[in-house]
Amino acid sequence: MATISFDLVSPENLIFNDDVGTIIVPGKDGDLGVLPGHSQVMSSLRPGRVMVYSEDKNLVKSFFVSGGFAEINPEKCIVLAESVVELNSLDKSSIEKEIEELGSKESKESEEQLSIAKAKLEAITVSFYDKI
Amino acid sequence: MPSLKDIKTQINSVGSTKKITSAMKMVAASKLRRSQEKAEAARPYSSRLEEMLSSLASSAASGEGIIKLLTGTGNDQNYIVVPVSADRGLCGGFNSSINRETFKLVKSLEGNGKKVQLMPVGKKSRDFFNRVMKDQIIESFVDLNVSSTGYESALNISNKLQELYFEDKFDKCILVFNKFKSAISQEVTQQQLIPLDVSNSEKEEEKENSSNAIYDYEPDEETILKDLLPKNVSIQIFKVLLESDAGEQGARMAAMDNATRNAGEMIDSLTLKYNRTRQAFITKELIEIISGAESI
Repeated sequence: MATISFDLVSPENLIFNDDVGTIIVPGKDGDLGVLPGHSQVMSSLRPGRVMVYSEDKNLVKSFFVSGGFAEINPEKCIVLAESVVELNSLDKSSIEKEIEELGSKESKESEEQLSIAKAKLEAITVSFYDKI
Repeated sequence: MPSLKDIKTQINSVGSTKKITSAMKMVAASKLRRSQEKAEAARPYSSRLEEMLSSLASSAASGEGIIKLLTGTGNDQNYIVVPVSADRGLCGGFNSSINRETFKLVKSLEGNGKKVQLMPVGKKSRDFFNRVMKDQIIESFVDLNVSSTGYESALNISNKLQELYFEDKFDKCILVFNKFKSAISQEVTQQQLIPLDVSNSEKEEEKENSSNAIYDYEPDEETILKDLLPKNVSIQIFKVLLESDAGEQGARMAAMDNATRNAGEMIDSLTLKYNRTRQAFITKELIEIISGAESI
């Protein structure tokens, strides 16, 4: 089976760069599963999980992105994300606290942060995509 | 004529200054390496973003809302100038050249009947413009500490700019910053940030059009563009901050290198003076002894 090269880039550095089997990215209108030979797509992303699988469909890495863009062509997939964290480094109780704090504030900015934090919480609680 | 002791103290004090400047040079050199690495690490993101933008830019002819970041307000009356300087001095002409250039730019714009406001970044330019054109400053950003916080400070600046832009407070935004050319030379550069100057990325667009097929856009071109444009403003600012940070360290390194060399020269000439004075004293004492012995 073929591989596709995958770059995960944040403004500060290049986080992931390797040849992988499959990637799932959280597109704005729904998740995109990217396999080698995918058609050319440019998509903006919603806050959610980026899942990286090896050729034999084992989960290699999983990240949480707070939004960004993906550029996909048959050989390469590039995700530009503003903030990237590895999923297993997230802590449930601290996110819940953050949501509580943000919920009490009322500004446009905190609303945005709140929706990101909620997506974060969802990302660590759900388990679909763990196996494909 | 200074006494021997005076010269000795002077030599000592120049010596300790030399130690400080050479230590500062070492520090600047290691910081320079770090900021260069940081600038290097940020490059993939910004170049990708620019490529995306240039392939999309043509699809936006004109529009309201966020698209205005690309197309402009249609006016050319109110300017905002953002000089990017360092927070600290002792780096040669780094800060003063920014201030001088900005001052010239503001004067020439005003000469053409435009209204100009300032948003200095960095202590050195804030202090300067606080003295010369205080009432034109609408906001200033200091203590950015680019090497550690990085993108967040860029985001703050960009949010503030966009807020003002969508309140129709200005039509054009120009950044004045030191472009990092090499470790020893920086170039004062002006860059138009808002509306986006697509002309400099046009070359890339041509390249891309010839090599790549057409993309599918999801959800659609306009939505992506609306997400992309504000991000691009932040990333441009981030890039400028990193360049300026690397430039600052480079400038400081060069300035401190010069200072160390000057201190060395000064010590040499002072030592020469010290020895001459010492010899003069000995000769004088000898003459006194000899003439005393002769008279007996």
